Amino acid sequence: MSDVLRARGLLKTYRRGRAVDGVDLTVRRGERVALLGPNGAGKTTTLLMCLGVVEPDGGTIEIAGHRLPGGRSAAMAHVGFAAGYLPLPERLRVGEYLRMFGQLYGLADPETQARRGLERFDILHLARAMGTELSSGQKTLVGIVKSTLHDPELLVLDEPTASLDPDVARRVRTGLAALCEERGTALLVTSHNMLEVERIAQRVVFLSAGRVVADGPPDQVAARFGRDDLEEVFLHLASQRQASEHTEGLRP
Amino acid sequence: MTEGFGEPQGGAPMSRVDGFAAGGPARVSPELAPWLRMWAIARRHAYVLLRSPHRLFDVTVWPLVDTVLFGSLGVFFARQGGPASAAQAGVAYLLSGIVLWHVVYQAQIAVSTGFMEETWSRNLLSLMVTPLRELELVAGVALFGLAKLVMGVGVVALAAFAFYAFDVTTLGLGLLPVIAVLLMVGWAISLFVVGLMLRFGNGAEALAWGIMFVVMPLGGVFYPVEALPPLLQPISALLPTTHAFAAGRQLVDGGPMPWGELALAAVGTVIATGAALVFLAWMLRVFRRRGYVTRYS
Repeated sequence: MSDVLRARGLLKTYRRGRAVDGVDLTVRRGERVALLGPNGAGKTTTLLMCLGVVEPDGGTIEIAGHRLPGGRSAAMAHVGFAAGYLPLPERLRVGEYLRMFGQLYGLADPETQARRGLERFDILHLARAMGTELSSGQKTLVGIVKSTLHDPELLVLDEPTASLDPDVARRVRTGLAALCEERGTALLVTSHNMLEVERIAQRVVFLSAGRVVADGPPDQVAARFGRDDLEEVFLHLASQRQASEHTEGLRP
Repeated sequence: MTEGFGEPQGGAPMSRVDGFAAGGPARVSPELAPWLRMWAIARRHAYVLLRSPHRLFDVTVWPLVDTVLFGSLGVFFARQGGPASAAQAGVAYLLSGIVLWHVVYQAQIAVSTGFMEETWSRNLLSLMVTPLRELELVAGVALFGLAKLVMGVGVVALAAFAFYAFDVTTLGLGLLPVIAVLLMVGWAISLFVVGLMLRFGNGAEALAWGIMFVVMPLGGVFYPVEALPPLLQPISALLPTTHAFAAGRQLVDGGPMPWGELALAAVGTVIATGAALVFLAWMLRVFRRRGYVTRYS
């Protein structure tokens, strides 16, 4: 079983303090992993380091056999990325936007891939719409189509269903499910929706204060903390974090 | 447990073709891929210009305003008296200066605003998570910038001809190396501006336009180094634009090809471009180390 993402000993310190403290993260081919944790746990920094956007202070990252940062360009040909908070560029139609990214991924026929992607998520009718005309749910779906144009080995989704209504969120999950089934795409997802995580992920990695505090199948992680589900684990870690911050704040 | 998802695949091994999954979408050759990426960026910025009428100001209205301003200044002073030949030369210096200045201006503004467009539309993070390399992004923007440059300089040249009967093409082929040097200077300034924006964020945007107001009086656009206050003359002499514009004025005077000035301009341009690239690489490193991408996401 080979790894599509292998990060070891990631360290990152900003002026406000250590954001990531020795994180190891592995995603195997075809595996669906959720990276979880309360706000400030280090999820986004870990994700951005794994994507080659932020340079770690220490540690190593390898994607599809390409070591970052030197192999970033080659590695990114195997990665798709979408985030619920990223808008579509203004002044571009959806079709033009998808063609541009298809070309950035080196596709010989980006139009066909764009059409297939739009069909997969049942939004082919949006191809000629301007990015600014779309609802937030439609933008999210188009962003996911963009990230899957090149059949990536690893799909990284940061809060993919944030602010989506349940129907669109279900369409996102269904589309992703079809993709994973057909292509064996590995998923690395962050989300604050624990119910959704339990539906999507085979394995969850919990971060707290920049460290991995749990790594395993959702039910086993919940059991390890003596909780019924991931939401309770999340709330437990968040309260621990708040208590720790409160204690630090009381120190002279 | 996994609604809509099948049972864990456990990472079933997939056959590989050229490092990519077999049966995946066809890709262009590795040699062609960088060119395709630059083309994608150039095309994206063509759409931005076509759908943003206010962006056309840079390549239509401002060139026209500059031509009328400096052309009319020259005509006014020419009418104040003095030898007719010197007065005519003054008008020609101003008009050739503004035509050539727009080579620097358009080259610089096209790349700087192209980068800014990606920050305004919060597209930078999405671009950075593709195989696109940083210099390919700059090259793609600069590639489309060439089209804007042709438009902007064309407007100035046409206006100079229409309003003041000044035909820049009469300066001959000697103009081509002067234009090449000024084009490179414009790109070098833009790399410096992009570096500052990477480091200081959108607050540095004003420099994209402001820096040109510093280069213009010091860069010998309309007059030789000796016309400046003595304190500023050494700075002016170091700028490659000073020598390129001096070469342009020699062509206006009908002199021989000014190889000496051109050589000085070329050497200065190579040094400036090298320094701008080093500065950009340094700022990019700072950008990645400090996680500044989150400013734009």
